[in-house]
Amino acid sequence: MLEVDEKQPASTDSTATTSEDAPAQPADPDTLWGVGERRRRFDALGRVRGTIKYVGDEPVATDTAHVAICRSTRPHAVIASIGIDAAAAVEGVIAVVTGRDLFAEYGDRMYTGPAFADQPALAVDKVRYVGEPVVAVLAHDEPTARAAADLVHVEYKDLDAVYDIDAALEGTDYVHAELRPSSVFADLAHLSGVRDTNVNYEYRQIKGDAAKAREHAATTVEATTWAPPTHHVTIELPVTMAWVDSGRLEILTTTQTPSYVRQTASDLLGLPLARVRVRTRALGGGFGAKMYDRLEPLAAALAWKLQRRVRIATTREEAFLLTTRHGAQVTGSLSADSEGNLVASTADVRYDTGAFADVGPRIAAKSGMVVPGPYRIENVAVQSRCIYTNKVSAGPFRGFGVPQVTWSHETLIDELAHELGEDPYRFRRRHLLREGDIATMGTKMHSADFVSCLDAVAEAVGWDAPTPADDGPIRYGKGIAVGMKAVLTPTVANATLNLNQDGSATLLISTVEMGQGADTIMAQVAAEVLQIDSTLIHVVQADTDATPYDTITAGSRSTYHTGNAVRLVAERMRDRLIEIAAEQTGAQAEAISLTSRGISVDGQLTTTLPELVHRTFGARGATLTTTSNFTSWWHPYDKATGLSEKVTEHWFASAIAVRIGVDTRTGRIQTQHLAVAADVGKALNPTLVEQQLTGAAVMGIGHALFDQLVFDHGQMINATLLDYQLPSMRDMPEKMTPIVVEAPHRDGPFGAKGVGESGILGVAPAYANALRDACGIRLTRLPLTPESVLAGIEESTR
Amino acid sequence: MKAIKLNVNGTSHPMQVRDDEVLLDSLRNRVGVTSAREGCGVGACGACTVLADGRSVSACLAHARRYDGVAITTADGLPEDDVVVAAFVESNAMQCGYCIPGFVLMTKELLKDNPNPTDDEIAEHLEGNLCRCGTYPELMRAVRLAAERSR
Repeated sequence: MLEVDEKQPASTDSTATTSEDAPAQPADPDTLWGVGERRRRFDALGRVRGTIKYVGDEPVATDTAHVAICRSTRPHAVIASIGIDAAAAVEGVIAVVTGRDLFAEYGDRMYTGPAFADQPALAVDKVRYVGEPVVAVLAHDEPTARAAADLVHVEYKDLDAVYDIDAALEGTDYVHAELRPSSVFADLAHLSGVRDTNVNYEYRQIKGDAAKAREHAATTVEATTWAPPTHHVTIELPVTMAWVDSGRLEILTTTQTPSYVRQTASDLLGLPLARVRVRTRALGGGFGAKMYDRLEPLAAALAWKLQRRVRIATTREEAFLLTTRHGAQVTGSLSADSEGNLVASTADVRYDTGAFADVGPRIAAKSGMVVPGPYRIENVAVQSRCIYTNKVSAGPFRGFGVPQVTWSHETLIDELAHELGEDPYRFRRRHLLREGDIATMGTKMHSADFVSCLDAVAEAVGWDAPTPADDGPIRYGKGIAVGMKAVLTPTVANATLNLNQDGSATLLISTVEMGQGADTIMAQVAAEVLQIDSTLIHVVQADTDATPYDTITAGSRSTYHTGNAVRLVAERMRDRLIEIAAEQTGAQAEAISLTSRGISVDGQLTTTLPELVHRTFGARGATLTTTSNFTSWWHPYDKATGLSEKVTEHWFASAIAVRIGVDTRTGRIQTQHLAVAADVGKALNPTLVEQQLTGAAVMGIGHALFDQLVFDHGQMINATLLDYQLPSMRDMPEKMTPIVVEAPHRDGPFGAKGVGESGILGVAPAYANALRDACGIRLTRLPLTPESVLAGIEESTR
Repeated sequence: MKAIKLNVNGTSHPMQVRDDEVLLDSLRNRVGVTSAREGCGVGACGACTVLADGRSVSACLAHARRYDGVAITTADGLPEDDVVVAAFVESNAMQCGYCIPGFVLMTKELLKDNPNPTDDEIAEHLEGNLCRCGTYPELMRAVRLAAERSR
């Protein structure tokens, strides 16, 4: 099993550096390991032997106060009283801190959040979900802190709780009495405060007259799909340390958003940004779990209030309580005229964001934009809402809400194809958006080659080859799906490049390395411009004292945005070097170029890079510095119609095809072949691109077949890895084929766009569509568990 | 408390451990090993895997006091040219890397018993280790490569 198609040259394995400390120079000076090369991660050996250091590996200083958190046992309640005496009396306990204590110190500033300031660092007077932090206990060691936290006694007066989106929309009980925007991000600048509602954001897309078009349509299919809440389960558990040094707050934390955390801590503590330092290290997985306000506001508040070093570590059970993926229900329809043209798409999308909005409003808008899918559709009516409930908060998760709506549009178009007696692959192909087409939200398509992605996966799984006949109880089928996602826009990336006198370079960016290989490809981009070996370029891990502002490491945005900042900073360095060479040689700048062997004038090698820089400063070890900024821009969508002529900087386009066997006795699905294709513009490092494609698809297989959080009266009941199922090696398809499609983006660095999320978008519907093909049943609730498959088969034969 | 000597990658570390102290805490907090990591605390993810006399152990569950004098191997104790380590590096069998040392040690154990495993046998042996980045295709290739070179 597990055959992987990869067009990987044999030479890859023999050349890239493997030392985790000092990368050896390749023997060939002309090998730059630049753009398009399958360069290995610079720290591959350290990752394999486990010698690279994560945040939790940082030695713990002896003066550290370890924090344990007493959490709410009620979904919605007023805090009547808090008894802390027993906990405070435990030997080794340093302090016991309540939400009221923090409120006395920080007031409303203790409420943070990327969209609305609705997350208290500790609950004040009221709790909104089971698991919400209520009291922090600080002790000299972690076991003491945890034991003492168990002795905190909280009396609650229960309130009626809002357990699901239906109850939330009834509007008799409210999770928050009033909402206050937090105004951190440009794309959320239009949020306004409201009262007496559980809907914190609503996006509408109105194009033409969908109701009328649907009325006159020849064929309409409808489906209410459900994608349950799931969890990221980064294997690295979140951990945060914070301390005060010379009147400055320093934080070392597992975050994908160091620049955001600095702003939040600055706002919370009332400090200038220069007096807050946020650092991170390589993360043991992110997937959206380690973003915005997790442990950091509480750590900052405690460290500053007590003026001492604190450390908040999490158990796996606690990590489940920090954030989740939004459960989402989509009631949608798709209509065709008598010639099979798509004439109307409607959708009512409801995201369950739990007790805090987090970045849910952005998710409701950005996925609401693409609910109709990447198709030519004349009339559209979409309503997409982000809704509070009394549950653990939901936030960003690889795909950013789009997998949940892809589940809808790829179910609908597949069913419509069946209804019309058309082949699901060719029916999609006919209607897919092409270069220059205007998508339903009004934006013109560029560098989004859905057709090539679709064709590639269809060809890979042998779409037109006969499907095997039933083998006893096993029925076979094939399924296909496409995915469409906009990159977060507008966002900001900056880069600083120090060229060292010896010809090596140090690149300062705030992109967080979390397994995607960003450090490696950013060095490749700079190397390509400067014509130096990328293994000589060190990328500094995010440190807000040194690395410049970057919006977030998420949403597959780094390759394009930070990649462009890196391209620009390297181009400025190249221009500077040419200017210096012109001064030193008296040659015209136009005649000078950088080559892998040194500075060339009129095609003649005249000097090496180290010599050039040395002559400039007269000192060994000197550095030459350039800086750059890259900011993407958009036309904000019209708030009434959701339309914009440029809603995003660029698009992600992808497709999945699967061939499966369904055991009709057990309901179990086995995958013979999964093909995943994405248009990445240009693969800066094909090995890393393929790895993102298959990795995302593997995560998608979990979401398709078994991955889900289960709640009972607002309480998560499977929040351990004994109860929460994740894909293992045994769940792999017999064969996986990652396919790189390259339709270069006119403004991408060397044409490139990101890829982290593309592979996950269409996985679940591809499976459900294959199940439809194999067994004739249409399941609309994820995951496609053996039980639900059997129930579907039983119902169909009744 | 019990006085034990933890023999980690060939070096003996005398220490006093609490009766309920798990091997993972002793290795991380007393010896300074960071290649074994807590991922779940219930023996369900494999990130804390170490070898004890060549047998895989979930160090987050094992009591340290039971490993007095037992030869413990952690991934950082393997040489850079170890056949499994080299195969993982060459196969790009890592993304974030957090879980990978556990997979390396499980592969050491597998190949010792079965130098010629089928893909099913590889998957069966490694299924208790979770890689959330989904690096399974590369991991499968790495184990095959290590097996091929070990033969």
